[in-house]
Amino acid sequence: MDHARRGTGRARARAHAAADDRGAPAPGGDRGAGGAARVTRAGLERAILTWIAEGVDAPADEARFDSLAVALFRLQFQRGPAYRRLCAAFGADSGVVGGWRDIPVVPTGAFKEARLAIFPPEATLRVFRTSGSTTEARGALHLDTLALYDASLLATFRAYLCPDVERIRFAVLAPAADGVGDSSLSYMFERAMRELGTPESRFWIGAAGLDLDALSSELARLREPILLAGTAFAFVHLLDFLESRGARLALPAGTRVMETGGFKGRSRELTREELHGAIASRLGVPRARIVNQYGMCELASQFYEASLRTGRMTDVKSVPPWVRTRALDPATLRDVAPGEPGVLVHYDLANTGSVLAVMTSDLGTIVEGGFRVHGRLRGAEARGCSLAADALLSETGAAR
Amino acid sequence: MRDLAELADARLALDPERTIAALAGAFALWRAPGSEQRSRLAREHGVFSPEMIDFGVEAALEGWTASALERLRARELSGIFSAPRVTSVWLAGSIPPAAFSAIALPLLAGSAVYAKPSAADPVSARLFAESLRALDPGVAAAVRIGSDPKALDEADAVVAQGGDETIASIRSRVPPARPFLGYGHKLSLAVIGADVDPATAARSLALDVALWDGRGCLSPAWALVCDSPRGRAAEVAHALASALEELEDRLPRGRLETSEFAELLELRARAAVRDGTRLELAAGASSWTVVLESSEARPPAGTLRFVSVIPVADADAASRFIAPLAPHLSCVGHAGWGANLSRLAALAVAAGASRLCPLGRMQLPPLDWNHDGQGPLRPLVRWLDLES
Repeated sequence: MDHARRGTGRARARAHAAADDRGAPAPGGDRGAGGAARVTRAGLERAILTWIAEGVDAPADEARFDSLAVALFRLQFQRGPAYRRLCAAFGADSGVVGGWRDIPVVPTGAFKEARLAIFPPEATLRVFRTSGSTTEARGALHLDTLALYDASLLATFRAYLCPDVERIRFAVLAPAADGVGDSSLSYMFERAMRELGTPESRFWIGAAGLDLDALSSELARLREPILLAGTAFAFVHLLDFLESRGARLALPAGTRVMETGGFKGRSRELTREELHGAIASRLGVPRARIVNQYGMCELASQFYEASLRTGRMTDVKSVPPWVRTRALDPATLRDVAPGEPGVLVHYDLANTGSVLAVMTSDLGTIVEGGFRVHGRLRGAEARGCSLAADALLSETGAAR
Repeated sequence: MRDLAELADARLALDPERTIAALAGAFALWRAPGSEQRSRLAREHGVFSPEMIDFGVEAALEGWTASALERLRARELSGIFSAPRVTSVWLAGSIPPAAFSAIALPLLAGSAVYAKPSAADPVSARLFAESLRALDPGVAAAVRIGSDPKALDEADAVVAQGGDETIASIRSRVPPARPFLGYGHKLSLAVIGADVDPATAARSLALDVALWDGRGCLSPAWALVCDSPRGRAAEVAHALASALEELEDRLPRGRLETSEFAELLELRARAAVRDGTRLELAAGASSWTVVLESSEARPPAGTLRFVSVIPVADADAASRFIAPLAPHLSCVGHAGWGANLSRLAALAVAAGASRLCPLGRMQLPPLDWNHDGQGPLRPLVRWLDLES
């Protein structure tokens, strides 16, 4: 943010960023700022869906991304009044950018304050909200179509968790979507289960919480590999339960584990290394078959470690071709030096109905093949997708 | 702990007059024109600009004199009492005068002090102890700077600053019978009534916002402005922006952490996307931000020279805003309340505030301030009721 150099006698004009939406093109107008060629949302979405359909191994073509991202930004600037106000405040009030890196980023906190959507409220099909208490503001992603969301989530889920099977039995340590309709995590599991799961698949957190007795018995009886997926918190509950009974399972060969979310300081915390070690030891799943997923309510796309896909353990999150991730210095909004930690910013083409450039509260580094996450910025608000599940566990007397 | 035993021995050599003389002498050194201590702190502190240290320390210590110390001791400690042999003081934050007073007050009560500096400011406590040593090595011998957590277990009393979680964690280590003073999460706000010129109020408010870069619990997170006639809040916001711009030259903001830059970016973004807001901000820089809100709804609390100006219709509206802050409200800065000041005082105390002061003084609490509503000395000592 500090673009101006300090110095004595400097003349520093003040920037006035009024919330003035007048003069913006009316919704439905398809001519981009600066006389850009006519681009429709439908046309853009078709192009993005085509790219997603090519899968995670499609070339991450820079020119293709740039052209789609810039066009999508124009559309979102024209049709999103809240985003336009943000652009004006940050000095990007023309709606014209030189390339995707110039697109104004939206910190996740802004999703708590305004409806960041480019369609009228009555067209809303689904709203995903960040987890949190009923008294605090929660971020919300408004969607009028699930086509891109579904396409992106299925492409990556399949590639990183089911590269070797058509279908597999799911055991999900999270509530089903019908219990928490605004949970993007539950929606993701449900959608993936429908597409990739066998009929025996099920969610293990219900109104009564996580039934650990039944779950551990079920896991002990398994003869076929499963996908055991859930929040990091739920895994801690399961591991603690097994440990308290001195139980050690050996899940069938071919089993894979996916865990996601942080710990939020609300119960026992483990490092990722410790969690994966405990899962390997207590459930008998090789470390290379344990995958961490990094996702957020404000994004349509998710990021996975490629361990299962490649057979080599890694903590690097893979970035699909239709997404770009940068590590920025928040003081300048420029890329940090290679290998240095910066604030992670994702540019997700699947976010067509809201904003595509989302700034997280996470520190990370850009590395070959993706990015590493080092944790939340100190002092940043605790939030994330595992809190809702944990809160549910707590409210229902924790794990039985 | 050997340190604590030595401190307890050193304390035996002290009497109130000697302690007051040393403390008053140290404060005088720190606030003297061209003070060497301030210069050294400005060089070593690392968080605030040298100009901020120079101005802020001098302004904060105004009135911290021998007679003020004597009055405070007489006010708080008349009767039969026993002071703790050693008080363990766990410091937080980065504001130097807060570290000075946290060390000085137990000494004034007759206790030796084991002080753990905060991670953000390892300098202020050490330099204050050095200034005491220069004046009276005997008094300075009753102050030790260290970081051994055993001091929490073994000291006779504990004073702790920090977030609520930190305070709870420290409190859990202190045996129930021992005095414990915890200063946890707090925030402050300004309330500008109808009887003041907006530009005048804004200039005073700007000092409250800018001092210590908005890092303290006395920094105003919001400014409620009586918006009658309509447009006064906008006038205050605009004048506040101008005053902050001027202050940035005189009291430049200091260093920010990466997370703080991100926090400011997020605060600005949240303000920008809210319907009806108007932002004024230092062009191309994050040094200050003024947001004029369009409703009485409570926006996120400002920090680091970020402040939201909220138009309110009347005192009832101000009350609705203030009341829910009850567990965490510290100071209310006022201007333009005239004959209604007592009404504001009733509002403030009901909301848990422990200080109501004129704008421009929010960051300059007197030494005898009832910090968080607690007397500065009385809770530290053990009293005897003599019944004959």
